[in-house]
Amino acid sequence: MRQDERSYLMTTQQHQTQYICRTLFSRKGAISYIGHLDLMKVIERAVRRAELPILYTQGYNPRPMMVFALPLGVGINTCGDYVDVAMSVPVPAEEFLEKVRPQLPDGLEFIHAINLDEPKNSIMSVVSCASYRLEARGITRPLLKLFAMDEIKIEKKSKKKMVDTDIRPLMIKPLVTDSEDVIELLVYAGSTQNLRCDVLLNALCLHTGYDRDDADNCIVTRTALYGGEYPDIVGIENLV
Amino acid sequence: MHKEIRFSHADLMSVESPGRYTGGEKNQIIKADVLAQLNERGECDAVRTAFCFPDVYEIGMSNLALQILYKVLNSEDYTSCERAFSPWHDMDALMRRKAIPLHTLETGSPLSEFDVVAFSIGYEMAFTNVLQMLDLGGIPLLAKDRTEKDPIVVCGGPVAYNIEPMADFFDAVFMGEGEELDLEFIREIKKYKDAGKPDRKALLRQAAGIDGVYVPSLYQPEYKNGRFNGIKPLDNAPAVIHKRIIKDLDSVIFPDAPVVPNNNIVHDRAYLELFRGCIRGCRFCQAGYIYRPVREKSVETLCRQGIAIEHNTGYDELGILSLSTSDYTGLRELTDSLLAAYEGRHTSLSLPSLRIDNFALDLMEKVSQTRKTGLTFAPEAGTQRLRDVINKGICEEDIMSALKIAFAGGWSTVKLYFMLGLPTETMEDVKGIADLAHKIEDLYYDTFREMGIKPRRPEITVSTSMFIPKPFTPFQWEAQNTREMFMEKQTYLKSLIRSRNIRYIWHDLETSVWEGILARGDRRLCPVILEGYKAGSIFDAWDDNFDYERWMSILVSHGLTREMFTDGIEAGAPLAWDHIDIGVRRDFLLRERELAYKEVITPNCREKCSGCGAQCYKAGLCYETR
Repeated sequence: MRQDERSYLMTTQQHQTQYICRTLFSRKGAISYIGHLDLMKVIERAVRRAELPILYTQGYNPRPMMVFALPLGVGINTCGDYVDVAMSVPVPAEEFLEKVRPQLPDGLEFIHAINLDEPKNSIMSVVSCASYRLEARGITRPLLKLFAMDEIKIEKKSKKKMVDTDIRPLMIKPLVTDSEDVIELLVYAGSTQNLRCDVLLNALCLHTGYDRDDADNCIVTRTALYGGEYPDIVGIENLV
Repeated sequence: MHKEIRFSHADLMSVESPGRYTGGEKNQIIKADVLAQLNERGECDAVRTAFCFPDVYEIGMSNLALQILYKVLNSEDYTSCERAFSPWHDMDALMRRKAIPLHTLETGSPLSEFDVVAFSIGYEMAFTNVLQMLDLGGIPLLAKDRTEKDPIVVCGGPVAYNIEPMADFFDAVFMGEGEELDLEFIREIKKYKDAGKPDRKALLRQAAGIDGVYVPSLYQPEYKNGRFNGIKPLDNAPAVIHKRIIKDLDSVIFPDAPVVPNNNIVHDRAYLELFRGCIRGCRFCQAGYIYRPVREKSVETLCRQGIAIEHNTGYDELGILSLSTSDYTGLRELTDSLLAAYEGRHTSLSLPSLRIDNFALDLMEKVSQTRKTGLTFAPEAGTQRLRDVINKGICEEDIMSALKIAFAGGWSTVKLYFMLGLPTETMEDVKGIADLAHKIEDLYYDTFREMGIKPRRPEITVSTSMFIPKPFTPFQWEAQNTREMFMEKQTYLKSLIRSRNIRYIWHDLETSVWEGILARGDRRLCPVILEGYKAGSIFDAWDDNFDYERWMSILVSHGLTREMFTDGIEAGAPLAWDHIDIGVRRDFLLRERELAYKEVITPNCREKCSGCGAQCYKAGLCYETR
């Protein structure tokens, strides 16, 4: 179980009222090269510096109560990720943003926030799909070719041996593009089924002969997170 | 144009922990006027210093000296300071392959573009990484090969007190605490820069006039019969270089908004420094002598700084730093005040180097939000005789009575640190280590039997490191044990530990032998270190990278032997560090050595002044009690 998920469950079990600031954030540049646990700490410390009435998790090691919609891998940019930060008393979203923004390190931005009191579902449980923008030389055409395939087998390491898996069912559709070098796409995401972009890029090289160096230099940006069942998906800011 | 990240996305994704190479942390300092000038004309008026730490980011960023001097060197309008760290093997290889120069995190400027390249060196095993950083930074390794176009390369830190094995690579070396000294030096560089950098040699001669600055090229060593035989100043350079200290720690600059790394570092917490120096005078401990005299910060200053740091960093842990925390006179008042200030913010204090007594256990219980972690003791030696030799003012009863309270209070994990190879050590003393560990195990079960509770298994760890004679200690003349002697003692101790509740771990033998050679080395080692680096030695402190056999064969190929540096030194013989004055006098160290042989304890500085010489600084404890 993820660290933030565990602390979320522990705190909800204690029946504390949570005043959530659901925050849309972006990251690029230096701050993109850290992993999910490090990013959690970075945001945790920024919120602590902002001197807000944060709700802390219970137990031996109290931490500010925060839940991320979906972990971000090392090297992945975002302009569509969400974090729920819990307060012990109501704090207007505008005040929250105003206080935290000056505390964020380079490359990390809090774009927007809304207030939610006592959401029924944790934000991470509602994520079903994500859209990504891939920027790399000549990537559009081979990626569309990949979408045209019925089956995309890749080797995946299981516990002991390598097994073949098909990632095609995890890819939903390409989104509009007018550039040879930039394409956006929709894939399944979340705890039940999830497609990582590094896996997708490996498949692209393997099945379309796309250049490995270009794939390694591909800038990946998560652009949005959705809940609901495809094709009836909605942006997760509206799901409570 | 100066850009933040010089590596491509693919470069960063191909190495371990890329976050260590990108900078952009909260509280990093980039001076706007300096950046504007650099972007406009590639040059700036301020003196630019690249502060280099010869180890990975995660270790360097845990270093308080770096945070202090980073702030100091950014504090004046004529100064500007940026940071650089050793790239790990994977990034080192990538930078060489792609010819990417080593550059700073703040502006991505190559080291070669700076006016000053300053190293903070905390341990001898980092020497080869200094060369790695200079090499990757595009700076000639040997000071004599540098021209007016190259940066002035300097260093400081505890290792600087005997920098002779690295003397050929540094233009200047700073002795002692840097807060004032660094700025005096930078002001000299400012004049030199304003004048268009006319004459490097003249600048260094000028800098040698600053109290505490050592310019190795102005001194000529002599050797006789394979031994160091004194060093002579040239060009009217001062015969003796005096250590600098800060007299009043309350008024000196302190980083209350240190840089907060984005990725997880070794010591990921804020730091507060209680005092400098140590009253104890353990005879093997270099820190106990070089940082004299003892100078405390006031509780008011520490409270103010402690509150500011926590607010400015967002850290949920504040580390209280000093050589012996329990010796701080205002500890209770300080911890009470800080805990009160942190109320409701879930910030804990970490208190290393505590002497375990009732107060300490009570304090640990109060300050720590987390579960009871292990207790650590450093008896250093297994018998009372040997503990008296090293002046470790701790006896078995102290340890036992403290542990009894701790065990009863629920602690069950104990770590014990010892040294092998201490002067006068016999196999009886080695056996004493195992005996002490077994007694502690018995005490654990006895304590629970008395309470009528069935205990869980205790975890007792015995850890040994090898004694290394260090300059400026009473043991600076002692012989270091050979690899074979260490091995024999280790094997013997291992055979004596029979309980499954006791775990024995030991520090690597070979790195200790090499460290011993470097610690008391002289300039004849410079070409050895250079050759070792060229043969591929970097990160020598990391056991897997350390190649003992190669170091030994390079040493021998230069006509040197291990014995030249690790054998005992006659009391009257010249020492490679005789031209450095730390305030503590040689005759005091000799007296302490005699007392060690007689197994006589020296009282701590607060009980009674032993006249070590550090009162010449007219500061701190020596001054207050006079």
